[in-house]
Amino acid sequence: MGDPGKGILRFLPESASVRLSPGDTVLAHAIRSLSPEDLRAGIRLACRCLPLEGEVAVTVLPESRPARLSAYIEGKEMAEDGPFLPLHVVPRKGIPLGAALDAGTSTLAGALIDLRNGSVLARTAADNPQMACGEDLISRIVFGEENPDGFPLLRNLLLTGIEQVISGLVRSSSVEGEIVEVSAAGNTVISHILYGLSPSPVRRPPHRPVLKEYPVKTGKDLGIVSAPSARFRIFPSIGGFVGGDIVSGILASGMHREEAVTLLYDVGTNGEVVLGNREFRIACSSSAGPAFEGGEVACGMRAYPGAIESVRIDPVRLTAEWTVIGGGKPAGVCGSGILDLCAELFRAGLIDRAGRFVPRGRAPFRETDRGTAFVVVRAERSATGADIVFTASDLKSVVRTKAALCAAADALLRAVGLPRDKVERVCIAGGFGNFLDLRSAQTLGVFPPFPMKKFVLLGNASLAGAIGAIRNRKRWEEACTLCSSTDYHDLSSDQGFMELYQRALFIPHTDAESYRGNPLPETAT
Amino acid sequence: MTVPLPKQAYPGRILPVTLPAGPGGTPVTVGGQNALSLAPEGEKPNAAAIGMEVRTGGGDLPPALAKAFECRATDPVSLAGACANDWGAQFLFLSLDGCHPDGGGQPVEEGARIVHEVLAAVSCPVIVGGCGEEETDAKLFPAVAESAGRPVFLSYADEKNYRLVGGAALAYGHGVVAWSPIDINMAKQANLLLSDLGVPPERILIDPLTGGLGYGLEYTYSIVERIRLAGLSGDAMLARPVLCHLGDAWKAREAVDASETSWGDAVLRGRRWEETTGWACLAAGADLLVFRHPGNVEAFREAAWR
Amino acid sequence: MALTALDIYKLLPKTNCKDCGFPTCLAFAMQMAAGKAGIDKCPPASEEAKAALGAASAPPLPRIVVGTGDRAVTLGDEVVLFRHEKTFYHPTAIAISVSDALGDEALEERLRSISALSFERVGQILAVDMVAVRFDSGDPARFAKTASASLARCGKPLLLSGTCAALAAAIREVGASRPLLRPPPGETAAGAALAAAEKLPLAVSARGIEGLAAALAAARAAGATELVADPKPADAAVAVADSIFIRRLAIVHRAQEIAYPTAFDLGQGFPRPFEAACLLLSKYASLLVLDTADPAEIFPLLTLRQNLFTDPQRPIQVDPGIYPIGKISPSSPVLITTNFSLTYFTVRSDVEAAKTPAYLLIAECDGMSVLTAWAAGKFTSESIAALLAESGISGKVDHRTLILPGMVARLSGKIEELSQWRVLVGPQESSALPSYLRRLPPAAFVPVHG
Repeated sequence: MGDPGKGILRFLPESASVRLSPGDTVLAHAIRSLSPEDLRAGIRLACRCLPLEGEVAVTVLPESRPARLSAYIEGKEMAEDGPFLPLHVVPRKGIPLGAALDAGTSTLAGALIDLRNGSVLARTAADNPQMACGEDLISRIVFGEENPDGFPLLRNLLLTGIEQVISGLVRSSSVEGEIVEVSAAGNTVISHILYGLSPSPVRRPPHRPVLKEYPVKTGKDLGIVSAPSARFRIFPSIGGFVGGDIVSGILASGMHREEAVTLLYDVGTNGEVVLGNREFRIACSSSAGPAFEGGEVACGMRAYPGAIESVRIDPVRLTAEWTVIGGGKPAGVCGSGILDLCAELFRAGLIDRAGRFVPRGRAPFRETDRGTAFVVVRAERSATGADIVFTASDLKSVVRTKAALCAAADALLRAVGLPRDKVERVCIAGGFGNFLDLRSAQTLGVFPPFPMKKFVLLGNASLAGAIGAIRNRKRWEEACTLCSSTDYHDLSSDQGFMELYQRALFIPHTDAESYRGNPLPETAT
Repeated sequence: MTVPLPKQAYPGRILPVTLPAGPGGTPVTVGGQNALSLAPEGEKPNAAAIGMEVRTGGGDLPPALAKAFECRATDPVSLAGACANDWGAQFLFLSLDGCHPDGGGQPVEEGARIVHEVLAAVSCPVIVGGCGEEETDAKLFPAVAESAGRPVFLSYADEKNYRLVGGAALAYGHGVVAWSPIDINMAKQANLLLSDLGVPPERILIDPLTGGLGYGLEYTYSIVERIRLAGLSGDAMLARPVLCHLGDAWKAREAVDASETSWGDAVLRGRRWEETTGWACLAAGADLLVFRHPGNVEAFREAAWR
Repeated sequence: MALTALDIYKLLPKTNCKDCGFPTCLAFAMQMAAGKAGIDKCPPASEEAKAALGAASAPPLPRIVVGTGDRAVTLGDEVVLFRHEKTFYHPTAIAISVSDALGDEALEERLRSISALSFERVGQILAVDMVAVRFDSGDPARFAKTASASLARCGKPLLLSGTCAALAAAIREVGASRPLLRPPPGETAAGAALAAAEKLPLAVSARGIEGLAAALAAARAAGATELVADPKPADAAVAVADSIFIRRLAIVHRAQEIAYPTAFDLGQGFPRPFEAACLLLSKYASLLVLDTADPAEIFPLLTLRQNLFTDPQRPIQVDPGIYPIGKISPSSPVLITTNFSLTYFTVRSDVEAAKTPAYLLIAECDGMSVLTAWAAGKFTSESIAALLAESGISGKVDHRTLILPGMVARLSGKIEELSQWRVLVGPQESSALPSYLRRLPPAAFVPVHG
């Protein structure tokens, strides 16, 4: 190395510009590994490059930041919303409006509500611009800690995204009005950043947030230009890794009002799990990675047009058939497609229970520099002109993710000493939850072995909860008590968790007996 | 005053497994019990089997073993004969460590030939262990399976190589030792994988990886107890005999170092180090114990509860 | 048997008043279910709850203390049958016997060899705990003198085995050191009266569990309260069976009449004492008396005890430091990972499979895996740079190139800034290490000079 500190690549925001050798492009964050095609095109990962000299150009590749945004997943309306009791109505010029926000790690979603009658006037979604500073929350905290003005930069990116969502909502609704109420559900890190607090303490044990409740501020106080006079209600957090988005999800699920015990999964960039009923609630965050959002998987992409959303393996030819969001040639595979793909490979006997490929017959496997890979789409049929392959290491990511999700629920059940059969309802929330094929999920053992009839798909429950809080102030009051009446269970200090995880690192599960009734693989020979 | 003895009944039973012998030899059957070890309760048709390890690789012997083996140390075939005929081993564990690239690098054919010769020289059951080097073992197991001449157990199959080892065993009628690294779940997983492959349950032994005294023995102890409790509670995949290979006991400096005089005589200490490891494994529930020291074979075969 | 957190929670006030120091009643209930808190911490609990939860948390096996001060030995006070269910708390005490029939010189020699039974392993001192003085001479005064010499010379708590006359004589000399009294089976009642009068712990001996239950009842009737049970087995098999049954009666059946710590005398011609000692260490004995003082036998026994009484819930860790793999040289690659044992063993076996000699640097990360340790801020650029500087690895290799786990590729830039080392990002999966290492150009590890 030459001069230390000069020409070294770190995680840089999209706007930063440094130069590598001529013709080289550098990915700003390790969102995906590189294929030979990428390498031939001169693309490198920033974190793996040593610049020869001087400045290097860092670009966030278009496919790592979705160019097109289709309508973001809508949350199911809450079953029982109660009477219309809006939070705050002041007579003003035009219609009093409320905005509900779901500030997610990768996506910001919003809904515009007519405060006179509670109707939803518009919905929109945008990428969280903080993605450029790291895909996951820890990366963003590290970014904030390691860069001068890192946290202010993260905050500005978030505000830009929120402005975009709010102005989008206003633009797409035809009514004249003023936003006077905003309810924002976000994880603890994003809520802290929005509120202007450092999320650093969240990273380190005991993972406690600086604040759990965020006193109401106006848009002007927060620096949001498009709704300066609105009162911003940020959903309170339960713990460092279980935030207001989960409180909002609990609201939407209604578990806190019922006698029946519900298990709520929010599967997104992270996976959070809540167990409880009106008497008790306990929540945890699993270490699940974003494999089901298309992250951590080489061929993965988010659920945008061009993504394979469902897969079937022909049992005789052992090749894949698929459907693509929006039709046309596929460019990658989204979360639900990845889940389908793995389940189908398992059913076809091309994956063993340990999560390893079993090449057999004429199944289209080939060797890549990331190990054996199953060719999902041949080059001539793909939008990228290269094979879309699912590698052994992708498979490992998926198995790890599903194991973390399954073990998190088991850890909560064990922590309170509740047997599985006492759970009466399993709600799946999050973008992925909407398109999930439950049969595929349980072929792989993504969730503990509950009967299919107990599952309920909630869609974007965080947004639904935020909408509910705008419409009915009782819901907001409930949210404010949920944060202190819901226990946070830290899996990293749960000594039995690693073992539950190890048990779940098997397809469908080491307790194969409890999954009986789920389809098993055909015998491979 | 009467105190009813708190005998414990379990719903499960450990599957009996027989290690086949050669002509004129005595097969070894283990398992079949429906109770924990040591407590006088339930049915225990078979006592724990005591075997000895024979290695094909060279290497310095610890003082305790050098004294016990005398001049037989270098020749695996005659050492095997002594173990089986003179020292009372009920079965042999023949480790082909001589084929390891760092341990002499004998060709695979040489390893297979030694197996063949040992099988001819002794009539007791034999477990053949690989050299531990993945690529070599991938050639070694098929070669041994083919040339063995009579049924043996192959050690070991794990979640990576189970198709190869299990396949070789299935093709030639051998048994398989299912290995996992001190983890009850991985132990069960290895058994599930072998069962998926079609290896019959009565031809599988569980090797949970035995840490030596002072070097992880406690983890093995608890994993063996848990495997046994799970098996007796009805988990069929874990209701199988457990093999504890005590070889790691000899890796401890405390077992071999003659220079520390405050630790006592190295010859006795080495033997006791292995013996202590063995008793703990037996207490935890092991069904097969593999020793290197002849004196310990005698001590365990004479143990009071046999 | 045990109440679950939800069972306990249902009995609590459910007000989340935080008086117990936990944020919610459920959190408190979970601590109680884990045996880490008692109902006394919950002042507003109803009497009904206190009655129900107080009984559930009473220890099933009483705690008996022998000796005083730093070297006091605690017997009993265990809560589980299997160490994986929680842990074993109080290591089996090991007492080495001394006969009062020894001449002065032989006694001195015997006590010196007992004191020498002390070994250091992984930062702990392993030593025998007690001296058991046997009344062989027929002369109570001599017994008392031997006890006194044993206490003075070894400083360990005493087990006094002798007739009540001998015990009474010894108590006058060493009673203040809280010895454990062990009268012969025929003198249980008299011994119990002596123990009661002197407020000393008493070992009650009688053959078999039935006999023992009767003898313990007699001892209680005579006023003794701190009791240890010795079933006087004939051999190792009976000893282990007795030990298992007594522990089960205590823990599972809560049979208070027999729920006492156990003592076994494996000396005086007990058959195969070493075997019995190993098995009784594994299976619940609270106190063993041995005649051997040979370090070649005591060291393995103490090591077994150290192993079995380690808390099994502690994550399996390896010691941080430098681990050479294969026939290393100054140009061997240097890899780094965390001290979670599964991580270590996986990486180690993959490096071995590569047949490339290498150094493996293990960082102290509280037994966490790479990504977990990174997320928790334990495996950071700073900690890695510090390890590179302080571990002494620079003295073992002449290059300055570190292979970093691919999972934490993002640390590479900062490590290079903070250390004099160049960083190569290794594969994401350890299983890819063999091919990665084989393909590394030797030029990656050229020596640095100056």
